[in-house]
Amino acid sequence: MQELWEALVQAVSLIARLDGEVIEISLRSLYVSAAAILIAAVICVPIGGIIHFHDFKGKRVLINVIQTFYSIPTVVVGLFVFLFISRAGPLGGLELLFTPAAIVIGQVILILPVLTGMTIAALNGVDRAVKDTALSLGASGSQAIWTIIGEARFAVVGALILGFGRAISEVGAAMMLGGNIRGYTRVLTTAISLETQRGDLVLSLALGIILIGIAMVISVIVNILLQRY
Amino acid sequence: MKTLIINLVRRISVPVVIFCLLLGTILTGCAQVATPPQSQQPADVKPIQSTALPVVAGIPRFKIATTTSLYDTGLWNYLEPMFEKKANVRLDIVYAGTGVALEYGKRGDVDAVVVHDPEAEAQFIADGYGINKRSFAFNHFLIAGPAADPAGIKGLSPEQAFKKIYEGGMADPSKVKFISRGDNSGTHSKEKLIWQAAGYKYAADVEKSGPWYVETGKGMGPCLLMANEQQAYLLADISTFLAYKGKVSVVPLVEQGALFLNVYDVMAINPDKITTAKMLPTANAFINWLMSDEVQDIIATYGVAEYGRSLFNPLKGGGCSEPGCPKLEDYTVPVK
Amino acid sequence: MAFLQTVNLEQRAGSKPLLKSINLKIDKGEVFVIIGPTGAGKTTLLRLLDLLDRPYAGDIYLDGIKATDAGVNVMEVRRRLSMVFQKPVVFNNSVFENVAYPLRVRGLDNRSITSRVEGMLEVSGLSGYAKRKAKTLSGGEAQRVALARAMIAEPQVLFMDEPTANLDPASVKAIESLIVEFNRSNNLTVVITTHDMQQGWRLAHRAGVLMQGELVQAGQPGEIFNAPRDIRVAGFVGIKNIMRGVIAWSRTGMAGVEINDRIIEAVSELPAGADVDIYIRPEEIVLSLQGLQGSARNTLAGRVKSVRVEGPLCTAMLDCGFTLEALVTARSAEEMALSEGQEIYASIKATAVKVLPVVESSI
Repeated sequence: MQELWEALVQAVSLIARLDGEVIEISLRSLYVSAAAILIAAVICVPIGGIIHFHDFKGKRVLINVIQTFYSIPTVVVGLFVFLFISRAGPLGGLELLFTPAAIVIGQVILILPVLTGMTIAALNGVDRAVKDTALSLGASGSQAIWTIIGEARFAVVGALILGFGRAISEVGAAMMLGGNIRGYTRVLTTAISLETQRGDLVLSLALGIILIGIAMVISVIVNILLQRY
Repeated sequence: MKTLIINLVRRISVPVVIFCLLLGTILTGCAQVATPPQSQQPADVKPIQSTALPVVAGIPRFKIATTTSLYDTGLWNYLEPMFEKKANVRLDIVYAGTGVALEYGKRGDVDAVVVHDPEAEAQFIADGYGINKRSFAFNHFLIAGPAADPAGIKGLSPEQAFKKIYEGGMADPSKVKFISRGDNSGTHSKEKLIWQAAGYKYAADVEKSGPWYVETGKGMGPCLLMANEQQAYLLADISTFLAYKGKVSVVPLVEQGALFLNVYDVMAINPDKITTAKMLPTANAFINWLMSDEVQDIIATYGVAEYGRSLFNPLKGGGCSEPGCPKLEDYTVPVK
Repeated sequence: MAFLQTVNLEQRAGSKPLLKSINLKIDKGEVFVIIGPTGAGKTTLLRLLDLLDRPYAGDIYLDGIKATDAGVNVMEVRRRLSMVFQKPVVFNNSVFENVAYPLRVRGLDNRSITSRVEGMLEVSGLSGYAKRKAKTLSGGEAQRVALARAMIAEPQVLFMDEPTANLDPASVKAIESLIVEFNRSNNLTVVITTHDMQQGWRLAHRAGVLMQGELVQAGQPGEIFNAPRDIRVAGFVGIKNIMRGVIAWSRTGMAGVEINDRIIEAVSELPAGADVDIYIRPEEIVLSLQGLQGSARNTLAGRVKSVRVEGPLCTAMLDCGFTLEALVTARSAEEMALSEGQEIYASIKATAVKVLPVVESSI
């Protein structure tokens, strides 16, 4: 209990005195995971739409496979991407390993299945009659699809928040691909991992509290913004 | 498809983007008015974080992989800005156990490695990956354990101590436990070496010989915490042990022994073998800089203020006289 | 060719036929009501007409265009149509945006959208609702929004699938008067499905009875009610005293129909031996205590099973070897002291006995 209390005090004080390094790491966590979620959204929402709006053989199986990958371990993604972008790997020439871009790639791959699957689920959740209504009111096929996606926006944004949460809270891929380089690829989770290793448990907990705080604030603000739409 | 994406960005991402931009602006604005952290002692000095952006035009990135024990003490935090200024590079430091650090080197993902496993290093050089190896610091391992010392190893040699731990552990694993890194790090290599010297075949006799022998696969710090929780023995480097002193109740029981010598070496990656390695001149400058008086003096005093003794010993000045110490030219002759 | 016409239109679900050879003719400006019990295929038919589904066979013509032609741009034709579904779907945004939707998908500019939507909200009695979230509306309000939305783009044909099925009477009235209003002011063709006969009679210029996937009868409501083409229609339009029998004899346009060993005389050209359905309207049955001597060809002796008085009228259920429902005035019932178990005579003119050939269900 003592440690938890100290961690809370330290977290508050780190935020209150705007500790330069903590803010820098928090910001990096934010923009890396925000980039990941935006890229993933651009990929997953249309893919989810395509899967949802088309009937084809093996659709059920494909969705099951996607759902299976929901819980893919982050270190597996990390290792997989590592082998690709390491200099000795097929994409080594891009010199991506140990850069923030590498973390973004890892996080994108990590959240692809969740986001695609949840987009499909969100679209499934929209009343089937929405499509008929849109068409009967003169919408073209693609306008009807966008109407359905628009109707699913709460659930889709919910999926985005969930994906963002998974991205910003994962440590395996960030550590393996970013390398936790101070001032360059250190994010909240890798910083927590390092401080734990160094034995500074209170600082680790404080960083963890900041991480939770960020996730909560994002969720709340996005929900408030959604209410206005 | 194009309209799909445009609509998508407009409809779904807009709130997220707006929010991120908003928060980013707010936080960046705050960061600019933030007062820099106060510097208390060398180990805590944090270099000014010039930017959070990944790309700094014109300044090349020089990547090294360093052993965990060296990194955890904070020494690199101290040295990093010095070298960046001197060589006009961005020094990217990745930390990992010696085994993984050498793997990064083999794959061409780093330009230099800092490790502490003589045998693995020799292999690395023999395979053609490493060149220009030099030594720049040393310290010692120790065997720590519960103050009650149930295996009775206090004051023994490392080999004798391991023997006692083995026998105690085999007899009653609830009383005597040993925590192993189990991660092919330099410390793990050293542990295997001691088992061998004690007359055991590591893979056959020790590994998986019973519940008393715990392989963690974790870094030195977590192993120390585990040993503390389980009241177990372990082999630790002195610098990490000192960093954890006060956080753990295990105490040093064996500190003397020729096998305990722990030498930190630095090597460049051979551009003839790894064609993507383009930073050899910087790597050479880095190696020579580590051997320089400037760095050697820092090593001699690093940690004194905080722990009452230095965490590492410089090689310059003849501090290392034990068997196994590097030859004079290994830490004095600059590389080219 | 009628304004909206179908030719041998068929629909199937897998191998199961849903609609069988529908031939509908609906004129411009007409309110056509498709009546039929639940499951008859009304919604299936409307979905075909609105070009939401492709028919299994047959064609649909709108204003001379063969809408089922492969080369036709379905969306272009569909933009001349509009449909309101049984359960109104409102989009998850404001009432204004809901009503504006058809104009937005047609790419109108914001200014004309605003003025047209405001006008439509006014007409629909939805002024002041513009900013309301559509999802928060009551069922009746939502249906009004759905109707306003369907009408905003000035379609030539409005399809409505059971538009008032789940609404309270006040909302039903509001929706119905809007339908009539739109029909009159825009010369709008309206096709409504309903299982509610009364609503059909109220709104329809013409009606079609759809039963088991078949358009059994089409015509003016009075025609259908007075001369149902077969017993299914008769049953559906609420006709009582429907019985199955066989023609025992037939001569000079008269026939004796045998029902449960009793013979009832009727006017029919059908030959002896034919299976027939007959029905007798309850109000055409005359009750007496002694048995009337008169022009009525049929006088059946029976027993009163039950008596139910409703205001000025009285419904008596009789057992005459088969069950008959008779409708008399409450005063007559009182004078005759109608009571359960009482012996009674029912007199029926042969012309009041309607004889219909038995139709085998084709589906």
